[in-house]
Amino acid sequence: MNDDDLLSTKKRVQRLIYLAAGGKISEEELSRHDIDLRTIGLDSLGYLNLLEGLERTFGVTIDLDQEPDHAFLHTIDNLARFLGERRGAAA
Amino acid sequence: MSETLARGPIQDAISGCLGQHAGRTAVVGTEALTYRELRGRIHAAASALREVLPRSASHVGFCLGNRPGYVILYFATLYAGHLPLLLDANFNTGEIESIRDDCGLDALVVESAKAAALDLPGKLDPVGIPAADDAALLPLAPREPAFRPREDTQVCRFTSGTTGRPKCIEFSGRAVVSAARNWVLGTGMTTADRTLCLAALSNGLAFNTSLLATFLAGGEIHFLKGMPLTRPVARRIAESGITRLVAFPTLYRNFAAPGGPEPAEMASLAHAISAGAPLWPDVREEFRHRYGLDISDYYGIAETGPCTFERDPHHHVGLGEPLPGVELRIASGDGETGEVLVRTGSMASGYLNHPGLFESRLDGDGFYHSGDRGRIVDGRLHLVGRTQDHINVAGRKIDPTEIVAVVTALPGVEDAVAFPDEDFNREALVHLVVVASDAGLDKAAVAEACRSRLAPWKVPGRISFTGEIPRTGIGKPRIALLREQLLQRKESVA
Repeated sequence: MNDDDLLSTKKRVQRLIYLAAGGKISEEELSRHDIDLRTIGLDSLGYLNLLEGLERTFGVTIDLDQEPDHAFLHTIDNLARFLGERRGAAA
Repeated sequence: MSETLARGPIQDAISGCLGQHAGRTAVVGTEALTYRELRGRIHAAASALREVLPRSASHVGFCLGNRPGYVILYFATLYAGHLPLLLDANFNTGEIESIRDDCGLDALVVESAKAAALDLPGKLDPVGIPAADDAALLPLAPREPAFRPREDTQVCRFTSGTTGRPKCIEFSGRAVVSAARNWVLGTGMTTADRTLCLAALSNGLAFNTSLLATFLAGGEIHFLKGMPLTRPVARRIAESGITRLVAFPTLYRNFAAPGGPEPAEMASLAHAISAGAPLWPDVREEFRHRYGLDISDYYGIAETGPCTFERDPHHHVGLGEPLPGVELRIASGDGETGEVLVRTGSMASGYLNHPGLFESRLDGDGFYHSGDRGRIVDGRLHLVGRTQDHINVAGRKIDPTEIVAVVTALPGVEDAVAFPDEDFNREALVHLVVVASDAGLDKAAVAEACRSRLAPWKVPGRISFTGEIPRTGIGKPRIALLREQLLQRKESVA
């Protein structure tokens, strides 16, 4: 994944998080891609919506029980990298 | 071991089931257990519990997500002669500590992987319970509790409470068995039923409809590991022939959304039960349209157990008729609509850490004042609102005064009010409006203060600032006017 693809993925993830949180987290807060999403109010329902959105938007299957480390869920940066790796592996 | 098992109404009820249905499947998680195997696991875990907690009637807190180990250790705790206290797995350290102070906790049942990270004073080394897969027992240093449970209390559950003190609801074994029996009878549960329980077992609906009830009927209870995303849920329903789904509105909305599972995957489902929060009418309609199945209407109260259920799949108005053993009254001023009063065989005995409060909510005939307003039409209950000011977020009732107390204690805050609102996904949230005397105080600082002092679900989902909160002559906030002002000034910031 090149830099443009990575940035595009981050923007799409950012939008999905905004929608998943029902607007409770502002676009401005989400513009910081390294911020820990748990500290700005992404709760369990928000994560549930986000994972549904990621699966439907990016066509990936995310089985948390198969992931040894859940840090990929903590920031937009991490999520974008995770998605890049998944899509790269599938290509 | 068997001759030393503690006796009580719940143990007597479950013992009969474990023997009667020995060869049938009982629990399915990452592995499947027959009733015979479940019995063996429960007895082995009871022995282990007695060794770790030799003092009888020890208080064992359950701070754990749904899994077979929860079922095994819950019944094992009872067989060991101890008292299970079913905590919300999301309670924070402060709330667990307040429960220790109020009610006493001799040990916590937690997920093995999380035991080490739990930051509690006086925490001893976790003890693995081989019979209960990935659950561990975390013994705690003894602490003299402020309150003692009643003699016949067999289970304690919790409501959110105020000022960080969850209210501990005491139930006798007879009440627990009555709730489960009434659910089995009232909803027609049979040995053919396979219940996929996605609502937390510490939640009243899941506890009363899925835990003991499943076994009384000789059915199966299924748990899903990981987050309840629609695809794995649908897969489980299809693969296991699930007949009953106990879930929450967001899951049903995801099922009903475009791209949701195919109807064929849901073909075995006979009952879909929604818990925790009101279900959106369009979601109910879309679910019915897509899957040909109605999401069952149901009404229950933490303190009284399940109250009503709609058994007629073609009846879509109201919350159903009273379950067996349930009496409803309307305390109406005008003869029709009024506060819903409930009397059941599954009533709580009281609040352990708020003596007299439960009793104060009973009328002279023993009917509980629910705080809900409604009416009964053609024998069915219809709700129209609340008489109290609690905010219901995902089934957890939040007292707004607790949030206001936290925020007004911050330097630079002059006034504050919290009230129910919705995000744009129509999920309920707490909207906090602050009047700040310190111009430097921002949303992030208020949010951080709330996060550090309140349970996660009590943290306001929306925070706004205003110059003044409109109040009535007696100081009550005028919420409708405030909403209007915020809307007009577009000060409401997500």
